[in-house]
Amino acid sequence: MAVTKVVMPKLSEQMEAGKVIKWLKKEGDRVQSGDILAEVETDKADVEMEAFGSGVLRKILVTAGDKAPVGALIGVIAEEGDDINAVVAQAGGGAPSAAASSAGAKPAMADRPAAVPPQPKSEDHAERTPSPSKGPESPGIRRAQETVAQQPVVTEMAPRPQAPAAADGGRVKASPLARKIAAQSGVDLKLVHGSGPGGRIVRRDVEAAAAAPAAAAAPSAAAPSPALRPVTPTVTGPEYEDVALSTMRAAIAKRMPLSKAPVPHFYVTSEVAMDRAWELREELNGLEGQPKISVNDLVIRTCALTLLHHPGVNASFQGESIRVFHRVHMGIAVALEEGLITPVLRDAHAKTLAQIAVEARDLAERARQRKLRTQELSGATFSISNLGMFDVRDFSAIINPPEGAILAVGSVRKVPVVTDEGLGVGRRMAMTISCDHRVMDGAMGARFLQDVKRLLEEPLRLLV
Amino acid sequence: MAKYDLVVVGTGPGGYVCAIRAAQLGLTVAAVEDDRPGGVCLNWGCIPTKALLRNAEVVHLFEKAETFGITVQGMKVDYAAAVQRSRGVADRMAKGVEFLFRKNKITLVPGTGTLKSKNVVEVRGKDGLTTLEAGRAVILATGSEPRSLPGVAIDEKTVISSNGAVRNEARPKSIVVIGAGAVGVEFADVYRSYGVEVTLLEALPRIVPIEDEEVSTQLTRSLSRRGITIKTGVKVSAVKPMGASVVIETDGGRFEAEQVLMAVGRGARTKGIGLETIGVTLERGFVKVSPTMETSVKGVYAIGDMAGAPLLAHKAMAEGVVAAEAVAGKNPRPIDYGNVPSCTYCRPQVASIGLTEAKAKEGGREVAVGKFPFTASGKAVAMAETEGFVKVVADKKTGEILGAHIIGAEATEMIHEFAVGRTLEATVDEIMHTIHAHPTLSEAALEATMAALGHAIHI
Repeated sequence: MAVTKVVMPKLSEQMEAGKVIKWLKKEGDRVQSGDILAEVETDKADVEMEAFGSGVLRKILVTAGDKAPVGALIGVIAEEGDDINAVVAQAGGGAPSAAASSAGAKPAMADRPAAVPPQPKSEDHAERTPSPSKGPESPGIRRAQETVAQQPVVTEMAPRPQAPAAADGGRVKASPLARKIAAQSGVDLKLVHGSGPGGRIVRRDVEAAAAAPAAAAAPSAAAPSPALRPVTPTVTGPEYEDVALSTMRAAIAKRMPLSKAPVPHFYVTSEVAMDRAWELREELNGLEGQPKISVNDLVIRTCALTLLHHPGVNASFQGESIRVFHRVHMGIAVALEEGLITPVLRDAHAKTLAQIAVEARDLAERARQRKLRTQELSGATFSISNLGMFDVRDFSAIINPPEGAILAVGSVRKVPVVTDEGLGVGRRMAMTISCDHRVMDGAMGARFLQDVKRLLEEPLRLLV
Repeated sequence: MAKYDLVVVGTGPGGYVCAIRAAQLGLTVAAVEDDRPGGVCLNWGCIPTKALLRNAEVVHLFEKAETFGITVQGMKVDYAAAVQRSRGVADRMAKGVEFLFRKNKITLVPGTGTLKSKNVVEVRGKDGLTTLEAGRAVILATGSEPRSLPGVAIDEKTVISSNGAVRNEARPKSIVVIGAGAVGVEFADVYRSYGVEVTLLEALPRIVPIEDEEVSTQLTRSLSRRGITIKTGVKVSAVKPMGASVVIETDGGRFEAEQVLMAVGRGARTKGIGLETIGVTLERGFVKVSPTMETSVKGVYAIGDMAGAPLLAHKAMAEGVVAAEAVAGKNPRPIDYGNVPSCTYCRPQVASIGLTEAKAKEGGREVAVGKFPFTASGKAVAMAETEGFVKVVADKKTGEILGAHIIGAEATEMIHEFAVGRTLEATVDEIMHTIHAHPTLSEAALEATMAALGHAIHI
């Protein structure tokens, strides 16, 4: 029967490589099409990878903990008697390096953002694991795989050091037992959050990470913010250290210049009187049995409704055309310890405040646990980045292409305001919209912002 | 009505430590006590029995003086003096607690405390009623008391509990000790050292049944050699006081002695303190608590023996600290109940932490076991204390120290090497790479660890 190649799937538009977190099947295990073979860490989330053929998992080429470029052969499913040597040899013996293959894909994206695959019309393609042999594929994915087929890629198969944490000397604080278990279970201690005294990684942390790799990176809610922990100034020891880029940080580093350089940003800032919105929120949150509404939920609802009247802002530059969206899929930036991630609240324009509050909280929570599904990470038509919790007056954000705009939201602050009677105290919130000048102009951005402000200042409209 | 941030009911090791920790954290504290500060531990348990056991040890040293070339003539032992010394030690320690209360500005309220509501404690003392209001929390630390067998009344004369045993200045000619846990074994040791005929009965198949099986075997051998009659796997069906003696009927025969000591365990003191009034939930006779020691009623905490097993003073103290810190809003680290050392101060001493070999294997672990006898320890031979061994149970794969079991001289002092190691999640490698001073008994811990790795040097 057929030999099924198991390749590193392309799980998001910008994904170029993925890390196998762990194999759920061993060499020699019988697998059915649809079985979960392995867990893969992409730049955004940890995803389960399905088998696309049935047979025996004959060979695992990329061991847990190692990375492979998209499309690289990472395993082979075949029947017992099938000869898989040719397939395996092709994968292992090729000359071109991983860097060469990704370099091939990169310029296309950098030169012509238009080449970014179109937004998914339906949400199913992203979650499916493409296999070379079957299934509908977007052109972008097919191209990547053809490249691979012609130029077998050398995967990083060098064995990992036995005890990664120990090799790092004093950088990772972990108990001896935690180190041993980590070494044995292939857990990277650098990705593990320590729950012991002073953030020390202890056994339970590693065991939790080994059991659920995705959860390990989640910052503990109870831990004080790093900025509040006392730091002892030092004049001895090494002057600096080079911290390897996490997959997420590497994606951000690669992605943001792709936005800032080719996308001509302009910024418009406005200030909103939040007194009534604040009162409304307090009142809503006083209701029993209702989900707690955050300021950001109000902003999401406001922007979603306003975007329906400003389709030009809910739009994306496509090279030869501008794509104007009729639905609002709201990207919500969520800060994580190792970077940020922008889960997408779909059809935000059609959801009530309560629905938005529940869904946004769920997305943020799962983002922190890195439990988001890939389709929840793509397809935003507009994004909101809120740094209000950090006591930020205002800031400007970088557009996440191919979106056309992003709104940066500051804190709600109590400030002196001039009223008819003289000086009073009011709650104010600054918002800055970053717009792609190829899609819209200053006045469009300003009018949108004006309507957002109006709606937030008459917040009862958000309820109808 | 006097108002304090914290009202602690009971000043045993749990209560007094909790009160002091809370005072250190800036809370105003009232501590209610119906007996003497220090509770059972200081007055009637841990401390006075350690004084009696020290007497027993001194008697033993005199008895084997010949080993050291010392001849003793006309030696007399006075049991009443031993009990009096023990009482003096207890008095001194109780005064110590009173001093610590004064130092930390804790108000000691003598009397029996009863909860009237979740934050009001009524204290019935010699001079009438006092009412205390707790601004932040009430901590219950009323401890435990000896249990008996069904139908067996303790009169503290013929049928005694540890309470009587620690007070009675007259020693019996013979005694049957029912229950071979820590309390039973320790009193058996004291009585035997003072020449009492001791029979030790245990319903389970071996003495010190919570300890590792090899420890029980070793202790059985040691105690038998000293003339203690040990019967295990026997169920007592009746205890019949017959005037000057008492008859114990069991499925393993009939025993007669001048006294019988009931050492069959302790039960929580949960009656008469108003738990029902405010609706505190109990579970199998103990107060149910959260990891921060809070009961089912918010703002009411329970610590120590009344809050469940293990019924150990050091566990109570640790819980007292956790409760005080929780009340003060400190977000304390919960107690790791798998890492509480267990100590029996008989001769040879028994100390352990973590899992026994059998329990570790039951858990499905592949274990590596290392054992090192004190006969091979230079220090032990020099001391002429060669009974016993150190046994280390480690996880074969990770080297985790799953358990450590020591029987021998000063075992209770040696166990902490493993306690610290386990707290820090050290593995056998870290113990092995820790240089142990020579010659010490603690070297046996090192050697046992190396034995688990397959390469002990001195055996």
